[in-house]
Amino acid sequence: MTMPATTTNVLRIHPEKCTGCLRCELACSYMQTGAFHPAKSVIRVSPFEGHTSYAPYTCTQCAEGWCMTACPVGAITINAAGAKDVLDDTCVGCKLCTIACPYGTMFYDPDTRKAFKCNLCGGAPACAEACPTAAITYEATATADWLGEFARERTARVLVGAR
Amino acid sequence: MAARHLIIGGGTAGMNAIRTIREEEGERSEIVLVSAERPYSRMVLPYYLDRSIAESHVFTATPRVLADWGVKAQVGRRATALDTKANVCTLDDGTTVEYDDCLIATGSSAVKAPVDGADGRGVHSFWTLDEARAVLAEIGPGSHVVMVGAGFIAFTILNSILALGATLTIVEVAPRILPRMIDDAGAKLVEDWLTKHGVRIRTGVKLTGIEDAKGRKRLRFAAGGDILCDVVIMATGIKTNLEWLKGSGVTVNRGVVVDDHLRSSVRNVYAAGDIAEGRDLITGEPAVHAIEPTAQEHGRVAGANMAGKDVGYRGSLIVNIVEVCHLDVASFGAWDDAKAEAASGVKPDRPAYRKLLWRGDRLTGAIILGPSSDIWTTNDVGMLKGLVQSGVSLARFKAHLKRNPFDVKPAFIASKTTSALLPETILGRPSKAPGNTPVAV
Repeated sequence: MTMPATTTNVLRIHPEKCTGCLRCELACSYMQTGAFHPAKSVIRVSPFEGHTSYAPYTCTQCAEGWCMTACPVGAITINAAGAKDVLDDTCVGCKLCTIACPYGTMFYDPDTRKAFKCNLCGGAPACAEACPTAAITYEATATADWLGEFARERTARVLVGAR
Repeated sequence: MAARHLIIGGGTAGMNAIRTIREEEGERSEIVLVSAERPYSRMVLPYYLDRSIAESHVFTATPRVLADWGVKAQVGRRATALDTKANVCTLDDGTTVEYDDCLIATGSSAVKAPVDGADGRGVHSFWTLDEARAVLAEIGPGSHVVMVGAGFIAFTILNSILALGATLTIVEVAPRILPRMIDDAGAKLVEDWLTKHGVRIRTGVKLTGIEDAKGRKRLRFAAGGDILCDVVIMATGIKTNLEWLKGSGVTVNRGVVVDDHLRSSVRNVYAAGDIAEGRDLITGEPAVHAIEPTAQEHGRVAGANMAGKDVGYRGSLIVNIVEVCHLDVASFGAWDDAKAEAASGVKPDRPAYRKLLWRGDRLTGAIILGPSSDIWTTNDVGMLKGLVQSGVSLARFKAHLKRNPFDVKPAFIASKTTSALLPETILGRPSKAPGNTPVAV
């Protein structure tokens, strides 16, 4: 089944503006976990073309919400910002969401034994605020594949290097 | 439009169907639920077993919630016969329920190995909440637990048993562990990892009997080498609960045969979850997928169609994930397809293994093992699922991925997998959050 995209505020990524500074990862981890710890950021900056260009990758807040419908205990809900959000008290850490999300944007914290993900910081995303080049903006538009074309053009070197 | 829906089975498929009927219906219908047990989630029983959640946490709908949804619940009752000509279901107390349409969602049950002593004291299955309670009552620090069977179900409670302070021995008749979830190379890696973490594993051994031994249990094997222990858990397989459908006129093969609307051979009878034999997304062939995600999707699609919508289902994808001693083990799709083109990679210095299976330029199956503390393991689990689910062409990346199956992310992004996935929904509309099911007024 297919459906038209709906319009709410989403994180829009402008990959050509990303400098790879990782401020979004610092801001995200601080907001989500209270520590400046990029390894726990739910927005991840990926390198392309042998680290000559970069782009941040995060949850698209897809319409299906594969993580949400997969959760056996209803621990993933939709918050006021329209983001799929994990309820820590309800999550048991079974990881079904991590395998259900086809985008690879669910995370699991072995310390807390809980799943976690982008919840749009409840409506004021720290990554967008922290980005010095406006490569991440928070705006009312349809969610989209912001990185596909950018990445397609910037993977030739990886592929050549592989040969 | 059906005014009286009968849901037979209060597991994942049945509960998803009920919620979806309430979400989709235009006019309030009558829903009767017949369920042998109070509705709970089997997925979370391991977390009840290790006492990280209270028993109350396992229930998916309390009597109060069922009442809010306007469900007439017959809990503790089993269906014993279905008369699809008269549209009547008979229950185990002799009462009958009439319906306009019904959903067969009676799932499956655990099967014990047929050996002497299998029904004795201290020998358990771990499938239902009652069985989980019984196991929980018997395991404590220092207990020696023997798990008979080294399949997925066994592995879901492995961490819990260790967390309770018990020691664990796994015995398996097959020559290797996880025979229906990962390949030989992956199984070897998991076996070595578990051995390193103090789990004793004996493969290729045939259990012949279980005896009482001065308050403990003695397991005997065909080749000798008794094991003395305190608790035996039989994780030796499950069977589909089909017997009660004899004479119903519903076509049964390995499960109840359903079409792409989850309809059985009888037009107003649907089936969903472990009991349904529906389309496999990858092979296109009929298959019984006794896994949670299939039960969820089947239940939702059946519920929508019972509510009068026209929702086609393209098929279910095999996905399995289990974490044992901080090692993630996952497989997807046609991971055991002998005719597929396969490429694998292993990191010898740490427990990390990948296998990617191809049909042409499409990824049709995958196996992934890696430390659960590695973010990329978790993220790649999802992306591999996305690549298999979407079936995007990976032509440009195939050679690269075959050389380096660990470098999934660039291939995922640059192949515009996100574009392919974003329009996909199960019901043709955005999903509603749990808790937003319309309640009776």
